[in-house]
Amino acid sequence: MTSIKRMLADTSGHDAITSKVYIRSAKSGKVTKIVREIYLRTDIPCSSRLCRVCLASAPVDSSNRSRPFILSEKPAGTVAFRYGHYLMPDTNIFLQCMDAIEHKSAFYDVIVLQTVLDEVKNQSLPLYNRLVSLTKSDEKRFYVFHNEFRQETHVRRGQEESINDRNDRAIRVACKWYQTHIQQAVASTGVKPPAIVMLSNDRDNLAKAKSDGVDCINLHDYVKGLANADELLDMISSSLQDQEKKSTRGANVYSEYASISKMNTGVRNGTLHQGTFHTSTYNSLEGTVGVPSFDKHLLIVGLENMNRAIDGDLVVVELLPQDQWKRQSDKLVDQDTLTKNENADVDEVESIVTEKERKALIDEAKRIQRSQDEGQKVQPTAKIIGVVKRNWRSYVGHIDPNSVNRAKSGGQQVVFFRPLDKKIPRIRVFTRQATQLLGQRIVVNIDTWDRNSRFPVGHFVRALGELESKEAETEALLLEYDVQYRPFPKAVLDCLPSVGHDWRVPEDKSDPDWDKRMDLRDLLICSIDPPGCQDIDDALHARQLPNGNCEVGVHIADVSHFVKPNNAMDDEAAQRGTTVYLVDKRIDMLPPLLGTDLCSLKPYVERYAFSVLWEMTPEAQIVNTVFTKSVIKSREAFAYKAAQMRIDDKSQTDPLTQGMRILLMLSKRLRQARMDAGALNLASPEVKVHMESETSDPASIEVKELLETNSLVEEFMLCANISVARRIYEAFPQTAMLRRHGAPPATNFDDLRSQLRARKNLDLRVDSSKALADSLDSCVDPQEPYFNTLVRIIATRCMLPAEYFSSGTQAYPEFRHYGLATDIYTHFTSPIRRYADLAAHRQLAAAIDYEPLDESLYNKNKMDAVVKNINVRHRNAQFAGRASIEYYVGQALKGKSMEQEGFVAKIFSNGFVVFVPKFGIEGTIKVESAKTYDADEYILELEDGKKVVLFDKVNVQVNFVKEQATGRRKTELTLA
Amino acid sequence: MEGLRNDGRRWNELRRIHCQLSTSSTNADGSSYIEQGFTKVICNVTGPAEPSNRQRVKQDSATVSCEVYFAAFSGTDRIKRGRNDKKVQELQTAIQKTFDSVILTHLFARSEISISIHILSQDGGTLAACINAATLALIDAGIPMSDYVCACTAGQSTSIFDQEGASPDPWLDVNYLEESDIPSLTVVTVGDSEKIVALSMENKVRIERLEAMIAVGISGCARVRGIMDKEVRRYGKEKLEAEGE
Repeated sequence: MTSIKRMLADTSGHDAITSKVYIRSAKSGKVTKIVREIYLRTDIPCSSRLCRVCLASAPVDSSNRSRPFILSEKPAGTVAFRYGHYLMPDTNIFLQCMDAIEHKSAFYDVIVLQTVLDEVKNQSLPLYNRLVSLTKSDEKRFYVFHNEFRQETHVRRGQEESINDRNDRAIRVACKWYQTHIQQAVASTGVKPPAIVMLSNDRDNLAKAKSDGVDCINLHDYVKGLANADELLDMISSSLQDQEKKSTRGANVYSEYASISKMNTGVRNGTLHQGTFHTSTYNSLEGTVGVPSFDKHLLIVGLENMNRAIDGDLVVVELLPQDQWKRQSDKLVDQDTLTKNENADVDEVESIVTEKERKALIDEAKRIQRSQDEGQKVQPTAKIIGVVKRNWRSYVGHIDPNSVNRAKSGGQQVVFFRPLDKKIPRIRVFTRQATQLLGQRIVVNIDTWDRNSRFPVGHFVRALGELESKEAETEALLLEYDVQYRPFPKAVLDCLPSVGHDWRVPEDKSDPDWDKRMDLRDLLICSIDPPGCQDIDDALHARQLPNGNCEVGVHIADVSHFVKPNNAMDDEAAQRGTTVYLVDKRIDMLPPLLGTDLCSLKPYVERYAFSVLWEMTPEAQIVNTVFTKSVIKSREAFAYKAAQMRIDDKSQTDPLTQGMRILLMLSKRLRQARMDAGALNLASPEVKVHMESETSDPASIEVKELLETNSLVEEFMLCANISVARRIYEAFPQTAMLRRHGAPPATNFDDLRSQLRARKNLDLRVDSSKALADSLDSCVDPQEPYFNTLVRIIATRCMLPAEYFSSGTQAYPEFRHYGLATDIYTHFTSPIRRYADLAAHRQLAAAIDYEPLDESLYNKNKMDAVVKNINVRHRNAQFAGRASIEYYVGQALKGKSMEQEGFVAKIFSNGFVVFVPKFGIEGTIKVESAKTYDADEYILELEDGKKVVLFDKVNVQVNFVKEQATGRRKTELTLA
Repeated sequence: MEGLRNDGRRWNELRRIHCQLSTSSTNADGSSYIEQGFTKVICNVTGPAEPSNRQRVKQDSATVSCEVYFAAFSGTDRIKRGRNDKKVQELQTAIQKTFDSVILTHLFARSEISISIHILSQDGGTLAACINAATLALIDAGIPMSDYVCACTAGQSTSIFDQEGASPDPWLDVNYLEESDIPSLTVVTVGDSEKIVALSMENKVRIERLEAMIAVGISGCARVRGIMDKEVRRYGKEKLEAEGE
């Protein structure tokens, strides 16, 4: 009998096989040992343009292409490396200095080892993604060398060797191999070989490398040899900078985080709770955590209990004993008043609670005691005992001038950075360019927040420009809301049709583009949009049918014809998610060639469209619906006003105007039907900023006006969206791209209801959207016509945000759109500016058998990822748009001071919030000392006997001043 | 990334294949052992012999029967698969049908050829390894077939375009990680011809990708045949030399 036990010699010819053994432990406590094969090879190129050997044997893929070589022949050098160098950083360098590495001025020709890339991936996914995008762009010449798969550079972990030591050794071995390999490659040419420089901050590793004969250097020493050393040094994470200092620093001010296993078990058995932490907008010492096991948010009071959590962090909390429960503070507290006179450099003398804070807390405690006999509104409070996931990002702001030591020129100092976002605490930043950075808008990243530091510590990333300059402020708000605003990369532009603006609908109907496309060029179609609109998504037509019914068509730009799934353009659009509209600027989701020309349904030219055709009875009941790809020719592009005038002009009787009148008639019926079903008519303070055309300076502000034609277009778009939603849900019950708007929990309206009852003796019923809509209609004050709008604005803020979702993630009843009062809804009508619409287009095209559906739209996991991203982008785009308007309103009214009518929208024991309809702004007015505050009647009596009453009209003086905290112009209101 | 797969192979490379004949000293007529990467399979063949069960008798040809056993320790999780397990039954049927069409069964009327397979370790391409092992064991048992029956897997990434905008490469001989990640199929051919005797796929894939996958699978089968042929010849030579002494 032959044994099946294999002899080692048997693997001859396969000596290039090794195995990777690792042990994985699952959350459930199960431990699995996994063994995987690794095939070692000798055909992985060094990718240096100096090397002929690797070029000759470069591997090819199935279509016989090989990859171009990346590392340049003449890499840059420093004094120490005269003949140029290829850099080989270790993992920590990427983890801590990514900002510096991405800088344009340095770090070219970098070899990224597979070992390092894997380690970065395990440590931080965002940094990994940034590193991967560096390796993909041609600009910086980053090459991923698969050292683990190359025979000469593969390293086996020795007995007793730690994983880190093994990885460090792998880096040294790869470095050594590169060195000899490049030397051999250039030996015959007489060129001096570039050095292979290992970058590391690990002293042990550096020493070992030296003894191995590998060129290596400490990161600081390397950066110091570069031209703009000061700037680059500032960009290195502070955790690298003050390693020595840290150990000597003072006492701990925060309590230690609980261990991960303790948090996991606690959350699982219900003793601890996990949720997202939000700082209060009005009080920087207070925050809330929403956890699934409680209906109401848990209150977190005081910095000590917040325990280094920052707005948006995913945290684990522990409930505090009942005697520490509190009612939500009705005071305005901002960090400014609390921490005005602190020095960023001095850390030792700090205690967790400053004098002023202590005073604030005592006031609070007293107030609570006073209200205790009422025994109401006390909320459970909690303490944060650990952070599961940080929500740190880049922050935009400026350096607090008070924290800069102007006398000290040159050398490093510690300054305070004030983020624009008031919910973010100030950040301590080490910088060598403090004086240059004063008065600049800058970007900073947080590195750590240690127990012994009152503030988080961060490092400088880059400067955007002068404070209040238009460019810097616009870029700042784009960065703040994470809007991708860089020009489209070449890869994206390569996906555009090569003929550019000369693209035409093919005349020959046998062209494959005409397949399954309906010819609708003879229909009288027109578009109605805001004035000056370039990206025309939608067009409409209507005509009378012989049977007395009407045919109505909604034609949407056929973007999915030009943007094919999974190419670079699609990826970019999916990333951007939506077009962002700022006052003076539009940040497109798709390249302008498509958005404003080829896809845009411009008048007088033929365009591809995706059409929804209905047969409707004169009562606006849908008899029949047809979806089809089509070719249309719009007859006219109207602005809302022009369309309104054309309809109202009795002398116009041409078929196009007749069609528009039919549309208007039907839209009114549709609207009525929707209102009867309980759709909400909500209000948001919308204003429009007019720009002077020459200087593009803001000139005037007006409140947006609504015409009948606005709602004409809106009604048919809603109708199209609903029809499409039903169709794609039917075709793809698991992954249809839909939009829902959850019913707000009744508790959201608690405050508003009690306020209305106390002040106006009105009742708000919130049990259904219909009830809410009706009771909102009855909220009128005959003396004050604006009161109704004010209530609607406040009610809108109590709502949940609408969100995109894929149909498999919710049960059918949850699909409901509360605001529109429809059982199912999607976005279909603006594919040029929203990615969700593009996805719906693709699904609808697949549903009507026009083309096959890409995997990303029927794979649940991939859909979830897409949906998650576009929800975030959508929200950010809205915030960015609002912030832009706010900025321009401030600029337009700079230096002016005027008296305006305002309404009290919220009231505190030491201040109140006033809403000014004329400018669509609101501001808080703080009252140093109020005489009395009646929390039940919502009346604040001031020193001089004046009474401030909720919902009442007040005259305020509006000033636009530069705000200390953010360096941005803000409205400042004072009682007139 | 960079055209390398997660175990360091390129798109058109097989894993290491190790095979042996006559590995079992029990009363099996033929036996074999095969390793494809970390997929390890033992196969025993008995027959042609009188059928154990009267119902299986065919008057004009031999009956091919197949039994598959998964060792509980063969996968990452410890799973016992009984006789009626769906996966076991599927494998049995696939193997039985494949060999029924290739073995020259008309030579052995009223007899039974039974194949029994033990899967010791699974790392992707289990069906392919079972079929290759059965081929070797049948050869060891001296049962006439028209040619080697060779099996190989091929996979294809689901995205429409890769980073360069071209369609991505199909992958030959997928391992366990790849198999759970992307759609893959098993191609079984007779010898190094393009005659496919079995084709099995359990996932969805775009129709236009199928051709490339099958083409790569067929080329893989031809290479598997070469490896098995080499081992059969080596073993045959060794056996003849031993008898000559």
